[in-house]
Amino acid sequence: MNSPPEPTNLAELQARFAAALRGPTRDGEAADPALITGIVDDGLEPAARLNLYRNNTRAMFFGALERGYPVIVRRVGDGYFQRLAAEYRDAHPSRSGDLHWIGENFPAWLAVRLAGTEYAWLADLARLEWACEEVLVAADVPAIPIEALGGVAPEVLPEMRLRLQPTLHCVSSAFPVWSVWRANQPDQPGDAIAADRGAEHVVITRTDDRPVLHLRPEAEVRFIAALASGACLQDALETSSSSVEDLPRALAWLFQNGLVVALEAPVPGEEE
Amino acid sequence: MNRDVRAAGRGPVGPIPVSAGIGLRSAHHESLVRERPAVGWIEAHTENYFHDGGPQLLALERARALYPLSLHGVGLGLGSAAPLDREHLRRVKRAIDRFEPALVSEHACWGQSGGEHFNDLLPLPQTEEALRHLASRVREVQDVFGRQILVENLSSYLAFTSSHLTEWEFLSALVEESGCGLLLDVNNIFVNSVNLGSDPQKFIAGVPQHAVQEIHLAGHLRKQVGQRVLLIDDHGSAVCPDVWRLFEAALRRCGPVPTLIEWDTDVPALDVLVAEAALADQYLERARELAA
Repeated sequence: MNSPPEPTNLAELQARFAAALRGPTRDGEAADPALITGIVDDGLEPAARLNLYRNNTRAMFFGALERGYPVIVRRVGDGYFQRLAAEYRDAHPSRSGDLHWIGENFPAWLAVRLAGTEYAWLADLARLEWACEEVLVAADVPAIPIEALGGVAPEVLPEMRLRLQPTLHCVSSAFPVWSVWRANQPDQPGDAIAADRGAEHVVITRTDDRPVLHLRPEAEVRFIAALASGACLQDALETSSSSVEDLPRALAWLFQNGLVVALEAPVPGEEE
Repeated sequence: MNRDVRAAGRGPVGPIPVSAGIGLRSAHHESLVRERPAVGWIEAHTENYFHDGGPQLLALERARALYPLSLHGVGLGLGSAAPLDREHLRRVKRAIDRFEPALVSEHACWGQSGGEHFNDLLPLPQTEEALRHLASRVREVQDVFGRQILVENLSSYLAFTSSHLTEWEFLSALVEESGCGLLLDVNNIFVNSVNLGSDPQKFIAGVPQHAVQEIHLAGHLRKQVGQRVLLIDDHGSAVCPDVWRLFEAALRRCGPVPTLIEWDTDVPALDVLVAEAALADQYLERARELAA
């Protein structure tokens, strides 16, 4: 019987090996004959040896995803989470040698995957959990005091930009994601929260090396999110449908929590 | 850079002492700094400290102020035929600049193909082609870092029919062609002897002893696969007697070398690791007496 020729160069060998790692996950599935020919058979089938790597790499991916989304795992259970993880891996395989990034696309992928189902709210919960991950790895920059605003001439105030802490993240959801997150922390009983309980809007910051979730009014969270994305004060008010009366409270909150790191005056000629 | 990290200041920057160290896991970040156990040095996985700021970085900076540090990479995939991930390389370099480790190491493995990373240490065939490729990658990385790196021998669950060199011949030639040092993982030598039928004593005898600048010790898991027992390199238990004996042989060949206790899964209390390190120190002491 003729064996197929083994891979002739490193790139081909690795491409075939990679395909075997990605491939169907059932044991005993026919493996790439050329790859198998290239693996020493000393009484233990090469396919069984390859399976060890296939299982390892899958476990590595699933483990990293689970660690990033503990509340989702708790809500949907291990079995369903594993199914989601397998589908997600097919759509978004790891693109980095750093495990941190494995969960990056999970919220957006879930939003499409669960759209129109009773679990659609999980995508927003995933956004919240990913934000908590991001909060933990962002740089911490010295904050400026609210007095810094005193030096700003009133006429340029609307065009000022507030640079916010890199640790700050905002999540607005039509679902009670903050309540679900809180009820499913390790020290909590893990209650189900009715998804129709209403919208919640959250600012996530870092205190004492932990993510802290602040439930805030919708307009304020949208205003802060607009500032965080680089909008000037006036544009942030407009896009968030906030009124000028809301401004002092929102600004006071940001400064009190050490979340403003710089004031940036408009640069002449840079306006649209 | 995180201001707290910068404010924490530098720690010991001398060479890694010829004594036993322990792998730093986040479960021990606090207890290590609080208890300051008598271990000679620490080793951290580089990729865990890639971030812009936050508690992980701060914890390493605190530990680093107390112990000499080695940074051990697991994600660069030096032997991948695909181009090196420049962003990953940049982040390793940033961690080196930030923490000023006394040693920097990676693995003789590959990890990505077709744009997908497998986040695992995948085996290379021991061929001339793989050797030339790996050596050129090691040189490239050493140029970027501006320093020598150590390359670690891998644990494997399979061997390629195309491998015409033994592992030790492959590593010797790698040292010759790239100027790298070696991180000799004695547990991996033992794991491969069971999984692949290689001769661990020949491995030790064939390794270029002057290139060995660090040794790794760890536990492994026995797993029944079909009719065979394979050893899974899970770093999840104490070092077994066979590996201690092989360690002794390695010290006879290489002389006393900084030795790390790795324990990455089912991580025990810090004092268990410290006790393993103390045991390794006894072996190092005997090797020192023999060498005297």
